[in-house]
Amino acid sequence: MSRATETASFLGIISVIYFLSFFGIIPLPQIVREEILPLPWWALVSFGSYSLGNIGYHLYRFRDCDDAYHELMEEIQSAKDDLRTKGVSVD
Amino acid sequence: MFSSVRVASDGVEDKYSVILPTYNERGNLPVIIWLLAKTFKEHDLDWEVIIVDDASPDGTQDIAKQLATVYGLEHIVLKPRAGKLGLGTAYVHGLQFVTGNFVIIMDADFSHHPKFIPEFIRLQKSNNYDIVTGTRYAGNGGVHGWNLKRKIISRGANFLASTLLRPGVTDLTGSFRLYKKEVLEKIMTVVISKGYVFQMEMMVRARQFGYTIGEVPITFVDRVYGESKMGANEIVQFAKGVLQLFISV
Repeated sequence: MSRATETASFLGIISVIYFLSFFGIIPLPQIVREEILPLPWWALVSFGSYSLGNIGYHLYRFRDCDDAYHELMEEIQSAKDDLRTKGVSVD
Repeated sequence: MFSSVRVASDGVEDKYSVILPTYNERGNLPVIIWLLAKTFKEHDLDWEVIIVDDASPDGTQDIAKQLATVYGLEHIVLKPRAGKLGLGTAYVHGLQFVTGNFVIIMDADFSHHPKFIPEFIRLQKSNNYDIVTGTRYAGNGGVHGWNLKRKIISRGANFLASTLLRPGVTDLTGSFRLYKKEVLEKIMTVVISKGYVFQMEMMVRARQFGYTIGEVPITFVDRVYGESKMGANEIVQFAKGVLQLFISV
């Protein structure tokens, strides 16, 4: 639990400072306001795109193994035939 | 880790114990045992199956007894329990009766095919891995019987879990795995989750203990008989579980 509380309070303090600067309550030079403050938003958008891209790519790569299904069906059939001769009740 | 090395140098052969939790698997059990027996015989491996049946009303245990007479009591070990007590405790229960030095965990519903077990064993031997896990998401792995929605949910869930937990394996929720016996015993002493989260926590804990994990691509044929349930409720349970692990581990 302590690790999570640590992370949460760290993020809390950072975002308070960030929003105070963002709304101009903490005075900052023009260049910082224009170049540095948008960075977290860019990071957020980039992470979102990365996530979608990652899921999309793996979805595209997701293999349908119909061959495995057909092989299994045949094996189930021969297993049942063999088990019947050995006296095991199979449906 | 050292005990298995010692066993090998004594010239005693490795033995593989499959723990198979069942509940109403009367139809599936004989076939899965047949496939297991065939695989182990073909590869000349010493084996046993521990069937942990949770008092199935459909007569699963009668079938298990028939199978024991066909394949021998040394291979088919029936260890039933009084009622439906859940998956995690089924492994703890089964572990007490394991006589092998490796334990294989799998489902009895054909989604996990025994033909991959020799590949698990080969990979384990070549790198002396503590755990080998099957993966549907890498190499030649794959799934049969999932529609697009099911695939999106699965990929999304896996992405969420691996981003937050960074377990170092591609298939966190898979449950087809080979463990060194003492490794599984150690992990079972600390695992607390249930359901979908249970398999995930096993991997996260394994990483925490510094165990080495290998991966073998597997094909996953989903629910040949019966429905696979994955609704809103399952998704919420999964997300809650991931967050819980994120907070507690």
